[in-house]
Amino acid sequence: MKATDSLYRRLILWLLLPLLGLGALMLMQAYRSAHDAADRAFDRLLEAASLAIAEQVKWQDKQLWLDLPPAALEMLATDAEERVFYALYDNHGRFITGNADLPAVPGGADTLRFADTHWHGMTLRVGVRPARLDSWSQRERFEVRVAHTREGRDQLTWSLFTGSAGRIALMALLAIAVVLLAIRIALAPLTRLRRAIRHRDPRTLAPLDLPLPRELAELRETLNELLARMRRVRANQERFIGDASHQLRTPLAGLSARAELALRQPDPASWRSALETIQASSARTARLAVQLLSLTRLNNPEATPVTSMLDLVAVARNATRDAFAACHRAGIALELDAPDDAIPLTGIDWQLEEALNNLIDNARRYGARHITVRVQAAPPRLQVEDDGPGIPTERRRLMLRPFHRGAETGEGSGLGLAIVDSIARGHGARLTLDEGRHGPGLCVSMTFQGDRA
Amino acid sequence: MKLLLVEDDTLLAETLQDALGLAGYSVGCLADGNEARERLAGRHDFALILLDLNLPGCSGLEVLATLRGHDADTPVLILTARGAIEDRVRGLDLGADDYLAKPFALDELEARVRALLRRRHPSGAHLQVGPLAFDGLAQRFTLDDEPLNLPPREQRLLGCLMRHAGEPIDKAQLAGEAFATDSVGDNAIEVYVHRLRRRLAGRGVELRTIRGLGYLLTES
Repeated sequence: MKATDSLYRRLILWLLLPLLGLGALMLMQAYRSAHDAADRAFDRLLEAASLAIAEQVKWQDKQLWLDLPPAALEMLATDAEERVFYALYDNHGRFITGNADLPAVPGGADTLRFADTHWHGMTLRVGVRPARLDSWSQRERFEVRVAHTREGRDQLTWSLFTGSAGRIALMALLAIAVVLLAIRIALAPLTRLRRAIRHRDPRTLAPLDLPLPRELAELRETLNELLARMRRVRANQERFIGDASHQLRTPLAGLSARAELALRQPDPASWRSALETIQASSARTARLAVQLLSLTRLNNPEATPVTSMLDLVAVARNATRDAFAACHRAGIALELDAPDDAIPLTGIDWQLEEALNNLIDNARRYGARHITVRVQAAPPRLQVEDDGPGIPTERRRLMLRPFHRGAETGEGSGLGLAIVDSIARGHGARLTLDEGRHGPGLCVSMTFQGDRA
Repeated sequence: MKLLLVEDDTLLAETLQDALGLAGYSVGCLADGNEARERLAGRHDFALILLDLNLPGCSGLEVLATLRGHDADTPVLILTARGAIEDRVRGLDLGADDYLAKPFALDELEARVRALLRRRHPSGAHLQVGPLAFDGLAQRFTLDDEPLNLPPREQRLLGCLMRHAGEPIDKAQLAGEAFATDSVGDNAIEVYVHRLRRRLAGRGVELRTIRGLGYLLTES
């Protein structure tokens, strides 16, 4: 989402833009009707003036003759100081008399017609009245043309327009105010929700509880579901930390007690035995701390390590080689049983190596004399088999839980198989615990879904 | 032989200094990342550097980068509490030679130090596996203090196996290290190994085949 994007701004944009468009249309309409009204009013004047002139036309000396009354023209000159023109034409369109040769207006022969026209650089409104001399002796047709410039009309148009524009502006302001108010009221629950979230104690995972309109209530429910999931995760973590702390405290207490006891005894032989115990116990505790860290990292949902194309055989060879020295010193035979060709797989190499290290380590700690790391191609599978005491069938599933140890007297931390299980699940692999091929012992297999490239 | 230990935990640093001192090395000790970087920025006479990654001042990886900027040879063994293999890969990419995750056994540390020094100084060093000894200066093997005369190729092969004593080494690696210039096939290596085995049989040194990993020279 862009930083400038806001619901408030969107609403304002989509409500006010059409409103502005509408306002502009209304202004145009107002101008047009002001213009028409002014034209109608002034056309009456043209009509009256032309009638007054037409009534004064007479037949004299075998031709049309006009004795123009001044009042006829005066009525056309308003205080806007228009220029006024008139002209008289006979039925052949010949100019008889007038103060300007005005252009003709096309149209019907018997009706009064008006038109806007340009004439000698001026905009004129021309009124044309066809008329007939109706006396007993003569039936002569003629045409009276009257025109004036538009100053008076424009003035009237403008004053009518400004009046209605003012009213429209007032209405627009009111509408904008109402829109802003409506948006603010409609978005108020959103603001409340935001405040409620912001004012929460960051440590609390209690559900949000505030009345909201339907659309936001759905959001609130979704948030509450997320919070509920987080509560479960945290409860899990708290239990894990509790277990971990217990697991670390117990051997530390043992170490401290053993050292204290040895210090009370004067016999150097008992010091030696105490030191040996202390060394073994501290090594175990340190290993537990390492395993706790790696389990925490594996189970961290925020971390998504990068997967890559790897060779299962190379992974197994690296892990076996790493573990070889320690096994060799302890007199345990460690072997790798792998095909010559690479077995490609998408995964995280250091995690798979860690899984194998844990399995080899487990086998070593639980009394194996012979450990075989096996790699198989179809389906891709990593296997660690030992000839130790094994695990009874009914206890195998329990072994995958953190802090569940096989033999209560054993010296393992109870995290090794939990780590392997996490890694297997992360790789979509199936983890199975079986008996060794030859009698007792344990054979742990990670079978991957065959995504051979 | 002078070693440098860069480690900020006093207890661990003192213990390692004592242990390596008892093993015959002279150990210089630094506790601060910046100090270590200054010390290693120019010429130095350490045969091997033990480097903690989590240091005050600047991180061990930065120290390593500074060192590798001008010195590609001195072996570096990384010691760190960051357990995962992920970090090891990063250290090795930056030019470290080996990696040891804390907690580690002193035995393991000493074995790695010996192996790194052996690998770095193949000639001129004295190597010993049980009763079998190699005098690098004279290029001569002795078994139970009697000279062991070998044909040149078997001699090179045994020298390579002795430098890697205690760790399995596969055929490809053997061929690369022992016969770098000649091209020697897998079958030829099997023949030489077979002959060496016969020579060493029953003399307290054993040349074992570790399935999947290669050959291992060890005391029997």
